Amino acid sequence: MIVTGAILVLLVLLGAPLFAVIAAGAFWNFSQADIDLQAFAIEFYGIAEMPILLAIPLFTFAGYLLSESNAPLRLVRLTTALLGWMPAGLAVVSLIACAFFTAFTGASGVTIIALGAILFPAMQQAGYPEKFNLGLVTSAGSLGLLFAPSLPLILYGVVAEVPIESLFLAGLLPGFLMLLILSGFSIWKNRAIRTPLGDFSWSEVRSAVRESIWEIPLPIIVLGGIYSGYFAISEAAAVTALYVLIVDVVIIKEVSLRKLPSIIRESMVLVGGIMMILGVSRASTNFMIDAGVPQQLLQWISGFVSGEIAFMVMLLVFLLMLGAILDIFSAIVLVVPLILPVAIQFGVHPVHLGIVFLAAMQLGYITPPVGLNLFIAGYRFNRPIVNVYLSTLPFFVFLMISVVLIAFWPSLSLYLL
Amino acid sequence: MSRTVSVFNKLEKAGTYAENAVLVIILISMILLAGTQILLRNFLDTSLFWGDEMLRMMVLWLTVAGGLAASRKDKHISIEVLDRFMPDSLQLITKIIIDLFTAAVCAFIAWHSARFVLGSYEFGDTVMGNTPAWMLQIILPVGFVLMAYRHLVLAIKRPFGPATGIDRP
Repeated sequence: MIVTGAILVLLVLLGAPLFAVIAAGAFWNFSQADIDLQAFAIEFYGIAEMPILLAIPLFTFAGYLLSESNAPLRLVRLTTALLGWMPAGLAVVSLIACAFFTAFTGASGVTIIALGAILFPAMQQAGYPEKFNLGLVTSAGSLGLLFAPSLPLILYGVVAEVPIESLFLAGLLPGFLMLLILSGFSIWKNRAIRTPLGDFSWSEVRSAVRESIWEIPLPIIVLGGIYSGYFAISEAAAVTALYVLIVDVVIIKEVSLRKLPSIIRESMVLVGGIMMILGVSRASTNFMIDAGVPQQLLQWISGFVSGEIAFMVMLLVFLLMLGAILDIFSAIVLVVPLILPVAIQFGVHPVHLGIVFLAAMQLGYITPPVGLNLFIAGYRFNRPIVNVYLSTLPFFVFLMISVVLIAFWPSLSLYLL
Repeated sequence: MSRTVSVFNKLEKAGTYAENAVLVIILISMILLAGTQILLRNFLDTSLFWGDEMLRMMVLWLTVAGGLAASRKDKHISIEVLDRFMPDSLQLITKIIIDLFTAAVCAFIAWHSARFVLGSYEFGDTVMGNTPAWMLQIILPVGFVLMAYRHLVLAIKRPFGPATGIDRP
């Protein structure tokens, strides 16, 4: 048992695909418990029994398609027109545009690639120090995770069996808090820089709006539809995908039909990656729940932690370590089923747990040594990885502060429910 | 030898093409079918009775086909902590071991899902009215056999350097 576990952990650390390791573990557990291994296939097949999962390929595809069009450029122009007049306006613009884009593209690193490529040179030109630039673009790439309809929020709802609509509401204030803190830091840090892009002008706003006329209805339809309860999440995803497909390919023709297969393929590689892990984990987590792992975990934790606050402290430390080694999707699928029952025992609301979980995991994107965004940024902007580490550090600290605030201020998450 | 290689390359090309075709067809029909359902539900107060179940089956198909596409490019979600600290030769060996391990696991999943599908066939399970369920479940064994094959190919190609079509940032 211990030997098998150690081998599996070693395989993971050596870079084996997570789905294969989890599947191997599930097979091992099943055979130890004399369960017919067909049960594994039946659990995996359960993917076809959850209607909400429809939202995952549809939103992912829409996000990839949007990032291939000129929508990122228009988003930056529109946000600049609206907010560029502020001190350190472009920095704030970058944060907001990134958050908005990440919410729609599901925090898969697409933001840095699509928006970073526009914002990084623009900020450089506007006179922001390179170190600040690099840090901002890298950390902003995962901002917006807490806003609807982000993929991690949906996945948490699926795994924790919490209404996704509640999560969409709960993420709003904590998400704004993160934005506010980072914007405040950026303004303070660059109080000397006023953007040379000019002052607020109605005519610029008008022409930016006119340029983005096809994208503006999208958040209104999707968010309006979801928050008003008119659309189910998967319906909103279908509408988004259909709308983006028609607009980008047929109406404004920014994505050619010829390019569509490769965009579809690329987005479905991500979807396949996430869903394979979801499928194989169903087998392993159901087994662990039947075997009473959460109860044992609870007993073990109760041994040295009592009360909600102490538990939350421990949870945060654990999540920060987890986030440094595991990507957000695998972490949700693997860890949430085990810690949710424990957290409930300690008086943590399941929705609040979700927000804390995602906020902490968001830090994982920029936690050295393996944070995904650090590598994407280093690769994309051609900077040594150590430079990226150092420039992200101040942002990391401020995001950490906001995560702590979010964790110990549950009513911030639960206020809108 | 070179003949084998050229047949092999053709097979790879055909495989990629087929994968893309499956992904494109399923995703686009998914979008259209889901859109149709919404229109029917909101304006005509009806819906295709098989539509929702079909959509869920498409999710399963996309999962497996997407997983297969990820296998081809060696882009499955993984954690790489140790291999950054290893010399190249050792990295190569561990990568090959991992490829073989993954291939074995996929083959194992394929075998047991084939048993599952066979059971469903014998039992006469149906979906969407009276469509035999095995016709849609068959993606599980087929997909995982192909994934096993893909990881085997990765293991074989690995020693021949970076020109293997494996691209990682």
